[in-house]
Amino acid sequence: MQDSLSRRDFVATVGSLGAVWLLADVADRSEAIAHAAQQVKQAQPALQFFTPEQAAEVEAFASRIIPTDDTPGAREAGVVYFIDRGLTTWAKDQQPMFTAGLAKLPNDVGAKVRGQTRLSALTPAQQDEVLKSIEKTPFFGIMRFATLAGMFSLPEHGGNKDFIGWKLVGQVEAMEFKPPFSWYDQPANRRALLGGDA
Amino acid sequence: MTRIQGQGTQGRRFDVNDEVDFIVVGSGPAGGSVARELTRLGHNVVLLEQGKQYTRADFHHDEFATVFNNQYANTPPAHIQTWRKTAKDKAEPRHGLLYANAVGGSSMHFAANYWRFRPGDFNEFSRHGGVPGAAMADWPITYDELEPYYTAVEWAIGVSGQGGLDPNEGRRSRQYPMPPLDITGPGVLLEVAAKKMGWRALPAPMAIASRPYNGREACHNCGFCWYFPCEWGAKSGTNFTMVPEAVASGRCELRTECKVRNVETDDRGRVTGVVYFNPDRREVRQRARAVFLCANGGETPRLLLMSKTNRFPDGLANSSGMVGKHLMFNGNTGAGAEFEHEVNGFKGPPVTRIVLDTYDLHTKGHYGGGGFDFRYPFPPLLSALNMPPDGPQWGADYKKQLRQLHTRISHCWGHVTQMPSPTNQVDLDPEAKDSWGLPAIRVTFKEHDADLKLYKYMFDRSIELLKAAGAKRTWGGPPGDDPGQAVHLLGTCRMGNDPRTSVVDASHRAHDVRNLFIVDGSSFVTSGRGQPTLTIQALAFRAADLASRMAKRGDLG
Repeated sequence: MQDSLSRRDFVATVGSLGAVWLLADVADRSEAIAHAAQQVKQAQPALQFFTPEQAAEVEAFASRIIPTDDTPGAREAGVVYFIDRGLTTWAKDQQPMFTAGLAKLPNDVGAKVRGQTRLSALTPAQQDEVLKSIEKTPFFGIMRFATLAGMFSLPEHGGNKDFIGWKLVGQVEAMEFKPPFSWYDQPANRRALLGGDA
Repeated sequence: MTRIQGQGTQGRRFDVNDEVDFIVVGSGPAGGSVARELTRLGHNVVLLEQGKQYTRADFHHDEFATVFNNQYANTPPAHIQTWRKTAKDKAEPRHGLLYANAVGGSSMHFAANYWRFRPGDFNEFSRHGGVPGAAMADWPITYDELEPYYTAVEWAIGVSGQGGLDPNEGRRSRQYPMPPLDITGPGVLLEVAAKKMGWRALPAPMAIASRPYNGREACHNCGFCWYFPCEWGAKSGTNFTMVPEAVASGRCELRTECKVRNVETDDRGRVTGVVYFNPDRREVRQRARAVFLCANGGETPRLLLMSKTNRFPDGLANSSGMVGKHLMFNGNTGAGAEFEHEVNGFKGPPVTRIVLDTYDLHTKGHYGGGGFDFRYPFPPLLSALNMPPDGPQWGADYKKQLRQLHTRISHCWGHVTQMPSPTNQVDLDPEAKDSWGLPAIRVTFKEHDADLKLYKYMFDRSIELLKAAGAKRTWGGPPGDDPGQAVHLLGTCRMGNDPRTSVVDASHRAHDVRNLFIVDGSSFVTSGRGQPTLTIQALAFRAADLASRMAKRGDLG
């Protein structure tokens, strides 16, 4: 998936992990997405698909993909609400994959930590161990993609609360930038790099 | 008399029984330009577009909707396509050919790289001979014949650049109308790399306004450009330029969400009009004296094949059997690198400098060549999904890496020749149907060995360039034998003087049908070096000019 970065490989990325979310058989996804965004504007986050117990597991999972440390992570970005909303609107047809993956999760947990069934009850180190044991599975792939999509899609889709994800990576939300745009195109640096050719 | 009302209609209204001068199918780089020129030259035009009309207010920085849900592009299952590698394989559903499904066509969401061809691109066959397994041929026109139209397009839509710096560029009758866009971080890195390698970094010609132009805004450097329609109206796509001008002429009716199903012909073998599904999916028959097909290199041949009749049993304009053959996409290579300081590829236009020292690689034992740019136009989600493959992919270290790298990556993208192989083609899938009930596009495509060798060469140079620019580390690999999803759809109704080996003549008139014109990426004889849009538009201006002259002297009957 990430072997290289040309347009063809970018598409390969979208086509592999993304596909399960992208190719949802919803007649008009644009409308579904707009509908989902409208719901976000109207209400405080509330679960519509997951049970509170499922949501706790999804949140624990997402929080190990993008953990909270000295900066906010998937939990603070509201990734679980993004996924929940997606599963009731534009990714409706993906519900069975999530339900099945979550139903199997207690076994995955128990296989790593004897006597436990809930990911959310484990320590972060134990959670990482469980995730590592399933990181080649389709469920992990879809959870990783969904977490990242909830981290970085516009807040109107239900995640990336207050642009937490964008701030994390240094992406600035603006309709306009003025040069210099970076260290390299600052005139003094460009001159230093290029000598008389700048 | 039926009158098309309201929904999806703009500009002058024509009745379906009015015999308009021209129907133009497709409002993209080709069709939008043809409609603008034909109306300017005094002709009445019905312009049909299968996608929607959007305005600036509809556009946004929404990566999830735009990139991951293809908001503005053709999308399965409505536009289902199938794909196979060779004629022996069974084609499977695959979203293989991507194009913007909206007024403006792919010029509404493209990166806006706007290279001219060089004179030698038109006669590579004469200069270098053929290649086994590829139907190399010269174009029936020369650079000099096309030059006035290149210039006319650059000034009509507004292109930023600086001519005269590239010693190998063709003759240019006029400078670009606007100076180059402000250089970005990746642009400076390419300057540094080129200098170290003894090459030349040239200001990239871009179809983005660097100054206010013809009432449009200049670029505000918001960075959401590649893959995104422009919120400022600064990108010079036909949605902001040609199509509004055609509609404002008072001689053009634009009908959107109208999907053409076939071109109609009479018993003399002349085109009489087209049949399309209107937005309510009812069939409408529009009459016309002549038709222009500008639906792109995938949809144009499909439409010809769907227009077969007893008189044209293999599809319209297909006595040569060449409709749909020689499908080309341009090769593209990519490599990534981390740099010490912030590159901030998300600020400013996607490309500001290019290197063309690898344009002609025949002396290095390759056929064709290509050019490079540095860019990192990936919005955050795409960026997060494309971190270096040897690094962490989740967890605390992955998060650390995202914080470090998103602002410090530049890619090197190579834009490369692709061979016209007769076995690479578009035809009709025998089973799959789109949501209008029409046969799906079936793609058959296998990379040519000479191209794979060239991609490898270009990829290796990409790594050298990134290292020469000071990369801390690089990643990526040369493309393999599968082009993934393709965006430059070329070659499928090639131009030529010989009716036995080409679909249209040097004036874009179908060899078989006097009043049918075909101009878009499908007209290409060879693929050039990876940035086809300006050449598509120059061909469109020229084709409209020639068709207008024929119409005026009564030569289309």
